[in-house]
Amino acid sequence: MGMEAIVETKPVEEDKPRIGVFVCHCGVNIAAVIDPKKLAEYAATLPNVVVAKDYTYMCSKPGQQLIIDSIKQYNLNRVVIAACSPRLHEPTFRKCLASAGLNPYLLEMANIREHCTWVHTHEPDVAFEKAKKIVELAVTRANLLEPLEEQEVSVIQRIMVIGGGIAGLFAALAAANAGFEVYLVELSPTIGGRMAQLDKTFPTLDCSKCVLTPIMNEAAAHPNIKLFTYTEVVDVQGSIGNFKVKLRKKPRYVDPSKCTACGICAEKCPVKVPNEFDMGLSMRKAIYLPFPQAVPTVYLIDPEHCLYLTKRDPKTGKPICGVCQRFCPAGAINFDEKPEEIEVDVGAIIIATGFDVFDPREKPEYGYGKYPNVITSLEFERILCATGPTGGKILCPPDWKKEPKRIVFIHCIGSRDETVNAPFCSRVCCMYTAKQAILYKERVPDGEAYVFYIDVRAAGKGFEEFYRRAVEEYGITYIRGKVSEIIKDPVRDTLVVRAEDTLTGKIVEVEADLVVLAVGMRPRKSTLELAKILKLPLSADGFLQELHMKLYPVQTAVDGVYICGCAQSPKDIPDSIAQAVAAAGYAMSLLSQGKVRTIGNVAEVNEDLCSGCGICEATCAFGAISLETKVVEGREVRRAKVDVLRCKGCGACAAACPAGAIKAKHFTDDQLLSMIRALFVGPSEALKAIKVAAPPIKAS
Amino acid sequence: MLSAQASVLKRDVISTRDFDKSFADEINRLVENSLIKCMDCGTCSSGCPSGRRTAMRIRQLVRLARLGYKPMLSMVDLWMCTTCYRCFDRCPRKVNITDAIIFIRNKAFKEGYALPKHIKVAQLVIDYGHAVPINNEIRALRKELGLPELPPTVHSFPDALKEVQKILSITKFNELANQQSKFSQ
Repeated sequence: MGMEAIVETKPVEEDKPRIGVFVCHCGVNIAAVIDPKKLAEYAATLPNVVVAKDYTYMCSKPGQQLIIDSIKQYNLNRVVIAACSPRLHEPTFRKCLASAGLNPYLLEMANIREHCTWVHTHEPDVAFEKAKKIVELAVTRANLLEPLEEQEVSVIQRIMVIGGGIAGLFAALAAANAGFEVYLVELSPTIGGRMAQLDKTFPTLDCSKCVLTPIMNEAAAHPNIKLFTYTEVVDVQGSIGNFKVKLRKKPRYVDPSKCTACGICAEKCPVKVPNEFDMGLSMRKAIYLPFPQAVPTVYLIDPEHCLYLTKRDPKTGKPICGVCQRFCPAGAINFDEKPEEIEVDVGAIIIATGFDVFDPREKPEYGYGKYPNVITSLEFERILCATGPTGGKILCPPDWKKEPKRIVFIHCIGSRDETVNAPFCSRVCCMYTAKQAILYKERVPDGEAYVFYIDVRAAGKGFEEFYRRAVEEYGITYIRGKVSEIIKDPVRDTLVVRAEDTLTGKIVEVEADLVVLAVGMRPRKSTLELAKILKLPLSADGFLQELHMKLYPVQTAVDGVYICGCAQSPKDIPDSIAQAVAAAGYAMSLLSQGKVRTIGNVAEVNEDLCSGCGICEATCAFGAISLETKVVEGREVRRAKVDVLRCKGCGACAAACPAGAIKAKHFTDDQLLSMIRALFVGPSEALKAIKVAAPPIKAS
Repeated sequence: MLSAQASVLKRDVISTRDFDKSFADEINRLVENSLIKCMDCGTCSSGCPSGRRTAMRIRQLVRLARLGYKPMLSMVDLWMCTTCYRCFDRCPRKVNITDAIIFIRNKAFKEGYALPKHIKVAQLVIDYGHAVPINNEIRALRKELGLPELPPTVHSFPDALKEVQKILSITKFNELANQQSKFSQ
């Protein structure tokens, strides 16, 4: 602050702060270390403190009543509560102030529990001195608190669900069945997601498609759901209750209203490319239907490989091919279709964008990509599936001739592995491996199945029983040890899987016809891009971060944006569905309220000082600041503007602003600096050093 | 004698009396606290080229070190590692296994658990400045290849050998090398 003139604060009599200090015992959490009564007695001596009381549990109903009564009795206009972290009970006490007719922002929490008695349990004398300091500082700041206004904004009655896998489908259906309008946006040409690729599901061995496709059809036909497939989210503006989402619908080059999915086009198309739905194990045409039950059941043209769209006759300059158009009996092919940009307004957004699988090429010792009969679990899932490359027969790639008589499954490929930046457990691999081994034994009864594991994690309903069935009923051999390498026996031309059976300490070598790598989950690239657009934070594992791991598992740092399914963290189908419906529940609860309240402690721009440099915009983690072009004295200038619905009051912009043009309300420089000063010169002197008196207080 | 020592692991019971937490902590600290990250998956031992030919299980050595089982210093297995670093390379938890083994070996050596052959090699370093000094065969081979008979090392510079010996003496390598191996007693 340097050598600034110090003007003594001379508050007018009626504006003079009248502070009440309330010291909580928190049972024994505080009272077992320090004497709350003595602390209250000390607090009563601090500047402008009119009354100081202590009580066993301030957060209890009688505790709150004590505060309300005191506010009225002593005509208090500011309140200090010495108790726990504001993270816990600030909302409780703010309500308490409001019910006593006081602006809720005239509250200051002095955290004498987490910051004091919990960390100084064994040194009560030091703890008491520290508690005194904490209360001194809180009282100092309380002297300078200002009443703040909150605003109300109405919520658009529409929910957007991004991602049409099992999580997105359930989130959309939950909201649609409750009567809300839902826009379901899916990046790929069909809804269904990863679950559509699976053969059967653990632990019941339900046919995955049989249980999924009715859900897909229900969502597609639902009167409250509008489906946007083959559509990406390009931009999101706005905030809770009022998001403006820009979508880009990619061209299918096939008119959905005309296509009857007869398949003649694909029959005639001369171009063959690896089929992504079969993880590249089979081929599809350049015009294709992703899979027979795809929704919408409409063919589409892959513009990267279609001859009409990519090649021209060098002489005539005309496109070559176009055979699909010639043969389509419905005349549905339209090569001139262009991407379509769509702008929609929604009140809430649910993200259910799912996962990718780990690419085992990152672990070259397993030979994936080098040996064709080392495959990933998702590839094996396609081999198991009746719509897959072998029609459900278990055969070895690449020639699909040999039935594997000895198969090896390896757990934890790309999970629990710090070398590939994945210390986490992918949660589903233990169980899907047990399932795949069982399905193998059912179809190749004379075959041998080995599973190499580190730990079998079967914590779910019916999971342990299912795993035991794999061992006891199907005779699958589980060996505890992670495989270190897969090599090719040059003489016998077979794969040798090498591990330690850690339970006997013996090195085990298994000659295998087929090796299945149980690959873990990874966040999708498209999810990461979406996170950038929405300014959503990621967890250390790279998945989308929830607001609170236990209490708010579907909320995010951006209000009105909810997450579910594997976009949040690896999980199985039942957990994805449960979380999806929870996310829908929160979105519906937001819409049902009809209105959202802003917080009072937002950032405020002083336009006279703002130079429009944009540092604040780049600093804001919540996308709450944008630059507005204005005309000031005949000149066009840029000025920072705060979206109070997005602003969390973190103060990063205020700290970053080189001109001091942004004020973080409720955490003003005066408030914070006075607390620091109070540490050295005491509250009275610190308050004298404040240049401007606190503005008049009016009961809200 | 060696086989009797090698059977330490096969004792029926290892007791908490044998666990020295400070030993475990020290080794853990020396490898940047990575020892404690081991989850006993066995990737290290299954890839270990030495473990396929000997009874040494690198995972079990890490396990014993984590338990603070100090009697492991007398295990011959400790000397079966070729320090090829494959275990460290493949460890999914980035446990610096090979360096841990080297630190444990240093301790073992100091306590007299050095193989007689290792002591002989140490003597060679002191006497000739080389763990593998030149012999007539190599002299002949070098001559045949058109090289000077002696390489440009301490073999060619007797004064430099004296310097090497001085360093070995200052670092007390001599004392270590002159010890009686507990394995040969």
